[in-house]
Amino acid sequence: MFKLFRFLKPYWWQVIILLLATGLQVYTTLRLPALMADIINNGIVTGDTNYIWMTGLKMIGLTVISALGSLVSSYFAARVGTNFARDVRTAIFTKVINFNLLDLKSFSTASLLTRTTNDVNQVQNVMIMIFLIMLRAPLFLVISIIMAIQTAPDMSWIILVGAAAILGSAITIISIVMPKFKVFQNLIDKITLITRENLTGLKVVRAFDNENLEKTKFKKANDKLTRLLIFIDRILELQNPLINIIFNGTTLLCSWVGISLLSKDFAYLGNMTAFAQYVTFVMMSFLMMSMLFVMLPRANVSAHRINEVLKKPMRIRWREKTSGMPEKTASVEFKNVDFIYPEAEEKILDNVSFKAVAGETTAFIGSTGSGKSTLINLVPRFYEATGGKVLVNGLPVENYAKEDLIAKIGFVPQRGMLFAGTVRSNIKFGVPNASDEQMKKAARIAQAENFIEKLPDKYNSHVAQGGTNVSGGQKQRLSIARAICKNPDIFIFDDAFSALDMRTDARLREALKEVTNDTVTLIVAQRVSTIKDADQIIVLDNGKVVGKGKHFELLKKCQVYQEIVKSQLSEAEFKKEVAMAGRAKYD
Amino acid sequence: MTNQPNKKSMFASFKMFLKSLKGHRFSIIVAILLTVGSALFGLFIPKILGDMTTIAVNTYPNIDWSALGGKAILVIILFLTSAALNYGQAFILAVVSAKYTKEVREKILDKIFKLPIAYFDKHQYGDTLSRMSNDVDVLTTSMSQEIADVSMSITILVGVMVLMLTISVPLSLISFIVVPVSVFVVGQIMRYAQKYFREQQSTLGVLNSEVEEDYSGEIVIKSNSYEDDALDEFTKVNDKLTKVSRRAQIFSSLSFPVTHIFTNLGYVAVCALGGVFVIEGRISIGNIQAFIQYVSQFNRPITEIASTTSTLQALLAASERIFEFLNEPEEEPDKNPAKAVDRVRGEVEFHNVSFSYIEGRPVIKNFSAKITPGMKVAIVGPTGAGKTTMINLLMRFYEPTSGYITVDGVPTSEMKRSDVRQMFGMVLQDTWLFNGTVEDNLKYGNLLASLDDIKRAAKASNVNHIIEALPKAYHSEISEDSDNISAGEKQLLTIARAMVANPPMMILDEATSNVDTRTEQLIQDSFEKLTLGRTSFVIAHRLSTIRNSDLILVMRDGNIVEQGTHEELLKLNGFYAELYNSQFSE
Repeated sequence: MFKLFRFLKPYWWQVIILLLATGLQVYTTLRLPALMADIINNGIVTGDTNYIWMTGLKMIGLTVISALGSLVSSYFAARVGTNFARDVRTAIFTKVINFNLLDLKSFSTASLLTRTTNDVNQVQNVMIMIFLIMLRAPLFLVISIIMAIQTAPDMSWIILVGAAAILGSAITIISIVMPKFKVFQNLIDKITLITRENLTGLKVVRAFDNENLEKTKFKKANDKLTRLLIFIDRILELQNPLINIIFNGTTLLCSWVGISLLSKDFAYLGNMTAFAQYVTFVMMSFLMMSMLFVMLPRANVSAHRINEVLKKPMRIRWREKTSGMPEKTASVEFKNVDFIYPEAEEKILDNVSFKAVAGETTAFIGSTGSGKSTLINLVPRFYEATGGKVLVNGLPVENYAKEDLIAKIGFVPQRGMLFAGTVRSNIKFGVPNASDEQMKKAARIAQAENFIEKLPDKYNSHVAQGGTNVSGGQKQRLSIARAICKNPDIFIFDDAFSALDMRTDARLREALKEVTNDTVTLIVAQRVSTIKDADQIIVLDNGKVVGKGKHFELLKKCQVYQEIVKSQLSEAEFKKEVAMAGRAKYD
Repeated sequence: MTNQPNKKSMFASFKMFLKSLKGHRFSIIVAILLTVGSALFGLFIPKILGDMTTIAVNTYPNIDWSALGGKAILVIILFLTSAALNYGQAFILAVVSAKYTKEVREKILDKIFKLPIAYFDKHQYGDTLSRMSNDVDVLTTSMSQEIADVSMSITILVGVMVLMLTISVPLSLISFIVVPVSVFVVGQIMRYAQKYFREQQSTLGVLNSEVEEDYSGEIVIKSNSYEDDALDEFTKVNDKLTKVSRRAQIFSSLSFPVTHIFTNLGYVAVCALGGVFVIEGRISIGNIQAFIQYVSQFNRPITEIASTTSTLQALLAASERIFEFLNEPEEEPDKNPAKAVDRVRGEVEFHNVSFSYIEGRPVIKNFSAKITPGMKVAIVGPTGAGKTTMINLLMRFYEPTSGYITVDGVPTSEMKRSDVRQMFGMVLQDTWLFNGTVEDNLKYGNLLASLDDIKRAAKASNVNHIIEALPKAYHSEISEDSDNISAGEKQLLTIARAMVANPPMMILDEATSNVDTRTEQLIQDSFEKLTLGRTSFVIAHRLSTIRNSDLILVMRDGNIVEQGTHEELLKLNGFYAELYNSQFSE
């Protein structure tokens, strides 16, 4: 939590005003009991009605000042608190949006989302609470003690008794209950876990007719939780009656001691009442401060989660300007590229070299975990190679300015992702000033034209957030159109065709030839049928290149490739393919 | 708070909530009585303390210590009794609320099992989960808080008013006038605050979806250099949120200084006027001291009752969500007496089965087929064609809209659901495993299975060596999201689980993605073993599986468009042939 305080820096003068206003408010509020004692001692006892009215007016004046102080401090607390939250949110968002994929993967999207919204809210609320209550409590405490001693110095020992009693009881209760809270949280988590399991595994539970088993499991955890909850509650609830006893006890003590001091000085008549109120303020401030123990841990969890994001170092630094001249002809070349996750032992990519040239399609295939997705992510520098060189148009990727490199690449991710807006805004996402002809051409090639034309508003049709109002296949076609519309030097399809049915897949690849004459095309695929016709197929296994060539060549000489093909075809079909591969030699 | 809950349904669910408390009626009444008692005892304390002052002043300088001592003891007795009663109430309510929470949670879990699967196809898991955790939490904490607070506040309010009136009518009237004014002003402020809080919630919603979109689409943003534009868009919403939430915060914190100023004005008036009254001899000094204390006590229940409305709103919203869930229509109960099949041979017949998720849009139309024992049936078709619907009907997760399915001649609709489900073993793409040991997971379908049985099944499913390689072998803890086993291995485990259950028929969903080639072959091999000699239904993706099937059901847009063997279907030269050729023609 305290680490986040640095975000308060721009608002330091507002915090100071806040402090001053709070001080003013506390001081004026605390002057009232003393004035009341004056009314009793100087007005009532002496029978001076005038004095009473004058003091009464003074008290009203103080009340108004106190309210003004309170208004000002509330205003600045809200202002600083919300501005603080805004800045933290912006900091998180900026950080996340510039994360490289590696860091992005280390958090889940859902968790990043909670950190940006809920956690910041939590921290904001606690921050405002701190401004409004936590700043007030110590001031109240100190000023009350001073004023109490001033009004009745002989009674000041009562403050010690009261404060000790309050602190003692609060600390005892908290120290008994606090350790149980952890157990409590674990049990709550357990209950949530069982519920979640039963929801996600609904069909399995019912299929095996195990409802009763699950109910028993749940009941066991639930019973445990209930017992613990009763225990915690019974201890916690001691607090209220104890505080009441202590408050009433000290008030009685004040009266008793005050009365016994009357013989010494009759002014104790008024002073003991005022003193009793000051002691109450002292004890209340302690209570307010003990709330900090309850609030801070919760806010700390949120603050910690926020800091986790903020302190991630930026792994990739981009140049302001591209250094060196990239070649005119498109190409992608890997020279002995390694990639290893930080703190991991095994390399994801191990000494990968190849060259993909303009006008040709280079395809990557391999089982999950073979590194094919990682490999293509190195081209737009979503990841940074840990060894070797990645060259785009002859220039190492780290020599590029971000905009220059990204402008060369049309990247289509595995999952078709759209943004809220229109069909038009989605296709023109990377190039807002593209012409409508360009957009329509992209849609036609991506096999999206047919369904777009059928939409009520065609290219102006609304696309919902996350593209939920179009089907999976349509989403994928639009995201392909988006890449085509950019008119890039390099196309990268990261398993982008698997959401399409095989006919659309084939048609799309055929149409794509229209725009890939001078471009490098990189395709990652699962389906052998998608990449059969590629000019160059690179077979990856455990991060190593184990085969490079065309379909039939690889069928003959690359064992891993054979296995992949075999797993997708029946025995007979596989034999047919191999036979064709044999014949291909004579073609 | 963005959508205002419907008043009527809120009222109905509140009635249900009250009804559900019936079992705890007695404890709650006792708790309320204790609260009232505790408040009453506490009320007299300031009055007696005031009397002490009066005694001291009147008998000064020869202070009557014995009279004072008596009063002091009375005060001690009063506050100890008050505290004891207060704790008694808390003690009882702690049990009531904990037990009630427990009951509600169990009811919800029970309900989960009683609801038709269709409910969960329409509602997200997270929603039910949050009803189970958040809403139950809100309901029970605010419930006991409300019971204690409201009864305490009302007693104090009434008691203090009476006591104040007995001390001085004119002073009381002054204090009473201040209250409605302050309540009115605070009420106005809160209305604005609430308006801005609602606005804050909806702006937060906008921000949320904006951020979610950007985070989940980050790869697209990166591949189009869109980061700066995204930040601009974010900043716009962020600024708006800051503005609205600042207003909400300011207005809600305004209520404190405003009540404060009214309270203090009342306080000052009482001090000054009271002082004058004392001089005039209309009131004793001790009584004015007591009166001042009552004035400050008088305000607390009012602010408390004011804050009650917001807790009450939260409570109502939570109870609505909980009881709305508990009120959802349940699966029709099993036929009683139910029919049963003694020794299942595995003859399954579909009799003119139709089904629609949405009325008027049939997913399966008038489908009939007879599957003889031991037959292997492949269900094929593009994604979204309704293949899983067939499985849902077989397992009676859904009921056909018309027609029926028989097993060995007995309609499944006349059997117990649990009996129907136990006839089938199920291996789905979604490899659900629960948190527990490998052993517990594997014997999930047959709780009586011995470790030897389990090992045999694991060997047959090619997963034994994987389990043995885990740190604690069969006693290793695993879960759905365990990362020490791969997706393919998880599927092997679910196959082994089905084998341990040893059902007469099988339902399989072939998954191909995300599994490496070698595991893929192991899975295929265990599938073979699993279906051997059993009537089985396979949602097939692999052509080898399809070709080896005895019957292929080809689905398209929710209809079974063709059925027959591979050769028959190819000859038909229809949709199946097209599907087949698109992948493997030259």
